Amino acid sequence: MIRAENVSYGYTGLARTVEDLSFHIKAGEFAAILGENGAGKTTTVKLIDGLLLPTSGKMFVNGLDTAKTRVSERAKQVGFLFQNPDRQICRNTVRDEIAFSLRAVWGKKEGERIEERTEEMLSLFGFTGDEEPFSLSRGLRQQAALMSVLAVKPSVLILDEPTTGLDYRECTRIMEFIRELNEKEGTTVVMVCHDMEVVLDYAKRALVMAGGRLLADGDVHDIFRDAALMEKASLLPPQIVRVASALGGEFAEADDAETLASLAAAAHERRKRA
Amino acid sequence: MISVRSLSFKYAGASEPTLRDISAEIPDGEFLGIIGPAGAGKTTFASCLSGIIPHAVRGDFYGAVLVEGLDTADNRLTDISRLVGTVFQDVESQIVSSVVEDELLFGLENFGIPRDEIEERLTFALERVGIAALRHRTIASLSGGQRQKVAIASLVALRPKILILDEPTGELDPGSSRQVFSLLRDLNRDYGMTVVVVEQKIMLLCEFARRLAVMSEGRIVRDGTVREVLGDVGALEEIGVNCPRSALFSSLLAEKTGEDIPVCINADEAEDAARRLIG
Amino acid sequence: MTELFQYVPGSSPLHRMNPITKIGLTLCVCVAAFLTDNLFYLLGLLLFDLMIGVVGGCAKKAFSVLKGLVKVSVFLFILQALFVRRGTKLFWIITDEGLLTAAGVVLRLIVVCLPLTLVLSVTQVSDISGAMVQILRIPYAYAFTFAAAIRFIPQFMEEMSGIMEAQTARGVEFDTKNVFKKLGMILPLCAPLLVTSVRKSGATATAAEIRGFELRKADSGYKKYGFGAVDLAALLIAAALIAGAVLIP
Repeated sequence: MIRAENVSYGYTGLARTVEDLSFHIKAGEFAAILGENGAGKTTTVKLIDGLLLPTSGKMFVNGLDTAKTRVSERAKQVGFLFQNPDRQICRNTVRDEIAFSLRAVWGKKEGERIEERTEEMLSLFGFTGDEEPFSLSRGLRQQAALMSVLAVKPSVLILDEPTTGLDYRECTRIMEFIRELNEKEGTTVVMVCHDMEVVLDYAKRALVMAGGRLLADGDVHDIFRDAALMEKASLLPPQIVRVASALGGEFAEADDAETLASLAAAAHERRKRA
Repeated sequence: MISVRSLSFKYAGASEPTLRDISAEIPDGEFLGIIGPAGAGKTTFASCLSGIIPHAVRGDFYGAVLVEGLDTADNRLTDISRLVGTVFQDVESQIVSSVVEDELLFGLENFGIPRDEIEERLTFALERVGIAALRHRTIASLSGGQRQKVAIASLVALRPKILILDEPTGELDPGSSRQVFSLLRDLNRDYGMTVVVVEQKIMLLCEFARRLAVMSEGRIVRDGTVREVLGDVGALEEIGVNCPRSALFSSLLAEKTGEDIPVCINADEAEDAARRLIG
Repeated sequence: MTELFQYVPGSSPLHRMNPITKIGLTLCVCVAAFLTDNLFYLLGLLLFDLMIGVVGGCAKKAFSVLKGLVKVSVFLFILQALFVRRGTKLFWIITDEGLLTAAGVVLRLIVVCLPLTLVLSVTQVSDISGAMVQILRIPYAYAFTFAAAIRFIPQFMEEMSGIMEAQTARGVEFDTKNVFKKLGMILPLCAPLLVTSVRKSGATATAAEIRGFELRKADSGYKKYGFGAVDLAALLIAAALIAGAVLIP
């Protein structure tokens, strides 16, 4: 559960800010934060994680005020996957990398439990554990970083442009994994993402930001169909949503290629008969 | 023009070759997009076109790459660079100066461009790329998109015949990505500059590239106009390349109706195709 | 920290001064600081340093650097005062001579370090290397390496703070008071930093090569670095500083 109450933030020295944000993301939701560069998306997720503290207003995660929560306590609840996995990875093997996260959060005394959980994560992702992170591809490094984030079983997972630099398959693998986590374990997911097709495929709720403010907050499909809103936020809706909206009528609600093609084929069939 | 003849390359210490017997012709004025899954050899191929391989990378190099008739292996990298400008995947490591103006001057000074021509080339490149206002700014104060443009401007100032870019929009947001590609289109259209760009974002390639080469496991497995390559949605899926949803839509529509529907490479075409069917 | 070595744009006399003159003036301040034993003269040199900051339009930075140097100096001062046993005992093992020597060492350190950072605030690194090649005839490869190293510092800092942030996110607490513990936490993180740095420096060398680095000659530089009235004034000041250090007992 994440609740922002009139949160504002100003970087010292720079003009980038987040202003008067208020939202409430319930446990188990899958939300995406959308907006062009400089809209304040990354600042917002860092505020949720407590990496940044509000200059004014309050941010609560699972009922705890981020300004009053210790780093290790917060890391138990919130996992953060960065755009660039290289900043996160600091050990020589993937196994060590996962164990490092666990030690930081659970403490060194939990040796046995840490070992158990590490092996569990490795088999879940199909790694041997002896891989050297820096000789892996970007996609696999991103997976290694994700493993070490998920090992501590955070109830909230933050993704800052998780698919940057990944190819289609790597992107799908990571996103499918996160979808399963969200659906089966009820992990709350907050994702910053530039790829609107990915947002449409995976997120259920969208928060649209522009100039540091929250422009809109609602169901992903409704947000994408609001052409005026998308224009205002300098965003381009996913292709199929654009086509469906343009066609209107019975097609307006379709948002994947399969549905739209079926509807169009049916309409074509009716026309042929008539 | 670039011609690639039976090119194979294996990195020193690697057990498998990264490029396997590639042959291709890239005529003058082409706008070629290269796409493919991670590990397909896209960056290696781009490095071969720009002469960085075999000059600055160790490994086994077979076959030949001819740039305007010059064999890249037999000529100095510096001489090939007069014809080919290369933008690296990591722009950060490409920039050698702390100020925008100096970054452009670097190449101009090195190649011994006459003093009275330098100012003209400098302003031309800055204006063409749309960063004239940034001339005296420090690189550190620029955004990712702006840095990418500085890197491109520093090459444009040298007026190469061919421009090669390796994932120039990798770290950019959709707005800046489109700006970079429209810049490439302008350079291609207005000055006949040959553009070769490795890119993951298929939608950008659909909009701006003329020709599309799909790489997989060290080979070029599909090569043709964007429309030709996107015609086979299933094959691309199998290779691990994302298709625009509009192309997926047109192929599904053709399958469901049995009608002859041309492949749609953007939303407008998809809308037209649907309208023609439903009246 | 990131701004420490960064250029502050401006058009003060210091900005207009020839880069070589600026380096010369800085070196003269250093020489003067080591020649003199007079504490008041050292204080005078410190004032001169700060004045440079004011004239160059980066007074704020000069004072913040001074503040940082003072922090380091306190530690050094105590160490020096404890180790020098000569002179009359004032209290415990502290002697008057110990205190004076410590003050001299600390003042010298500050006087020397301050102008070195200020030079970079009023001079573009590229101008320093450009002038070194053109006037001092230093081989371009060295000047280029020097410029690349200086340019690398803010990049390194940015990367470091990014890494610290990423580690904080996974529960590593850097806010411990124990210096050794903190160092023990930060050092392992330097491994990935080194890996990326090495990878980048290789790419930079290639990037320079494909833009004709090898063809460069000493007079390839587009900008010309001349000397003017400001430089003459600086020369006189530098001479006066050294003369003062030698003559004032």
